[in-house]
Amino acid sequence: MSTDPPADGPSRTLGKHAVKIDGVSKSFGKTVALEPVWLKIRRGEFLTLLGPSGCGKTTILNLIAGFLEADKGEIFIDDELVTQVPPHQREIGIVFQNYALFPHMSVTQNVAYGLRTRRISKAETETRVREALDLVKLQDFADRRPKQLSGGQQQRVALARALVIRPRVLLLDEPFSALDRNLRTAMQVELKEIQSRLGLTTVFVTHDQTEALSMSERIAVMSRGSIRQIGTPTEIYDHPQNRFVSTFVGDANLFSADLLRKTAQGARLGVGGTTLDLDTYQDDLPDPGPVTLFVRPEQCTLTAPDQPGAITATVALSVYQGSHAELHLDCPASEDGRVMLRVPCGEAQDAGTKVGLALPQRGPAIYAKEGGPE
Amino acid sequence: MNKRPFLGWFASPSILIAFGITASFLAIVQYSLRAHVPGSLDPGGFTLENFTTLLKAVYGQAFLNTVLLCFWTTVFTLLIGYPLAYAMIRAKSLALRSAILLISLTPLFLGEIVRTYSWMIVLGNRGFLNASLIQLDLIDRPIDFMFTMTGVVIALVHFTLPIVVVMLAAALSHIDRNLERAATSLGAGRVRCFLTVTLPLSIPGIVAATSTSFAWTFSAFATPQMIGGGKVQTISTLVYQVGFASFNFPLAASLSLVGLLFTIAVLAIFNTGIRRLEQMGAH
Ligand SMILES: Nc1ncnc2c1ncn2[C@@H]1O[C@H](COP(=O)(O)OP(=O)(O)O)[C@@H](O)[C@H]1O
Ligand SMILES: [Mg+2]
Repeated sequence: MSTDPPADGPSRTLGKHAVKIDGVSKSFGKTVALEPVWLKIRRGEFLTLLGPSGCGKTTILNLIAGFLEADKGEIFIDDELVTQVPPHQREIGIVFQNYALFPHMSVTQNVAYGLRTRRISKAETETRVREALDLVKLQDFADRRPKQLSGGQQQRVALARALVIRPRVLLLDEPFSALDRNLRTAMQVELKEIQSRLGLTTVFVTHDQTEALSMSERIAVMSRGSIRQIGTPTEIYDHPQNRFVSTFVGDANLFSADLLRKTAQGARLGVGGTTLDLDTYQDDLPDPGPVTLFVRPEQCTLTAPDQPGAITATVALSVYQGSHAELHLDCPASEDGRVMLRVPCGEAQDAGTKVGLALPQRGPAIYAKEGGPE
Repeated sequence: MNKRPFLGWFASPSILIAFGITASFLAIVQYSLRAHVPGSLDPGGFTLENFTTLLKAVYGQAFLNTVLLCFWTTVFTLLIGYPLAYAMIRAKSLALRSAILLISLTPLFLGEIVRTYSWMIVLGNRGFLNASLIQLDLIDRPIDFMFTMTGVVIALVHFTLPIVVVMLAAALSHIDRNLERAATSLGAGRVRCFLTVTLPLSIPGIVAATSTSFAWTFSAFATPQMIGGGKVQTISTLVYQVGFASFNFPLAASLSLVGLLFTIAVLAIFNTGIRRLEQMGAH
């Protein structure tokens, strides 16, 4: 633990963890919004909460911000216990999905709001508002009202307003979901630049896996009120630990397989009439019996249909994608009867062609059958 | 051809009503321009005399009373109605929300006469209010509520509250909760958050509630008639008195007409003032 000189205001002890969530849970009546969750966010880290709508992402943000009270558990910010601290004393910056700019104030007044509540001098307020507007490239819009700005500009005002108070943590709740695709990409880059320049601890919420993979240092994948896996984007994409993560992030081919026995490196499987010895990265393997074998499209290779060890399949559809073609195969060994893989455009095949499918030894993962214990 | 085949059917009742209103309005205009023949219900020839009669002090006093009643009723209704509406929108418990709604709406269901009689019982010299104040040793002698402006205002506030609470609640419920959350996250405590975000954003609702309350109180009749007991004359009570005690229909008609124009003028001035304010705020 180190004590850095304070940026402003009373001195703060700067611990290693900007945010620590310790067994926090939350229910609304009978709806469990959040199962007990443990999460540590490092200082300066860009962490993304990724999951489908209704999985509890906003609930976590609201708990960190103090808008909701946890049923159980404790929350620490900069190693300070804040569970009982009211939201206006938590020094957290928030960007809402709908921006939530004050419609009756100008851009300058919006950005200055958090400085006025802190009774910061007029001169300093002016300087800091100008700096914040420079940061988001909105110098020329200082006197406008929010409704006179485009969606992207409103987004930037919201960001400037949250940043100008030098928050301990920045929370963003699906900030780009209302923007069109080009603008979204531009804003992603801009946010990422600002965040790393300021070294700002950031919790970013999205249901868009591409956005999560491209922006985050770490991703917490959530479903139904709990965190299913936390890791770097590479870990999440290459080594998903369960079926939910494998299908939610990236494309997945799921085969019905039989786990014959566990081996030193992994497991021996029967799949599509052949056997496969798998080297696995997984911590736990399911018990021998029927299992699901997960393979990324780019891990499958096309072979001749009669090649030993290959799974048989028939081309159902080939979809031209510009840089490559997507080949959809009918494959009885697949759980939903279909397998997808990507091939160079020249290697696309006609519907009805019989092909073989070879699976690699490394990369795929084994999960318990859907509905069974995971 | 017609894209909305039922529109005509749906609109027909409103045409009927519009016709009725126009007809009665024209009748009033016509009456107001006729001479009063004492002892007869039929009016005499055309004249402007009714309007010159209205310049007498007694009518001026009634106009003044009416405006004062409207003003104070509106002020107190807003002061009571705003917190009620706020609590109704923001209370966490459904039971509390329903209770507030029920309490603020009951005056609508009571009926004018029952409600006003209840107030006469409460406000009388030996009524509930004076008895309580004396019991609590707050006063020695009963305060005169009956037949005073104060008493009429108290009863009118009760009368106006439902409409104001409903209008303010509608306005408050349209304020995005995230705006208050944003203010809070930026360091604003409850009071600052209310004064800088919630209150300014509910101004359109306050304006609408004010105009409505004004018009609502302006047209009130039973309450000033029974609680004012002839001591607090308003335009409505005077119309009644002139028309149905003295049977001077022409004068009653001209009084009604001037009252109507007066209400329109007051609301117009009010709305222009607000628009000016808004324009100033926008720059
Ligand atoms: N104020 C609330 N009252 C009742 N249920 C709520 C409330 N807020 C959230 N929930 C429920 O909690 C769950 C998680 O919600 P939320 O955190 O908003 O999900 P996400 O942001 O991931 O879409 C959902 O099932 C939602 O319906
Ligand atoms: Mg959400």
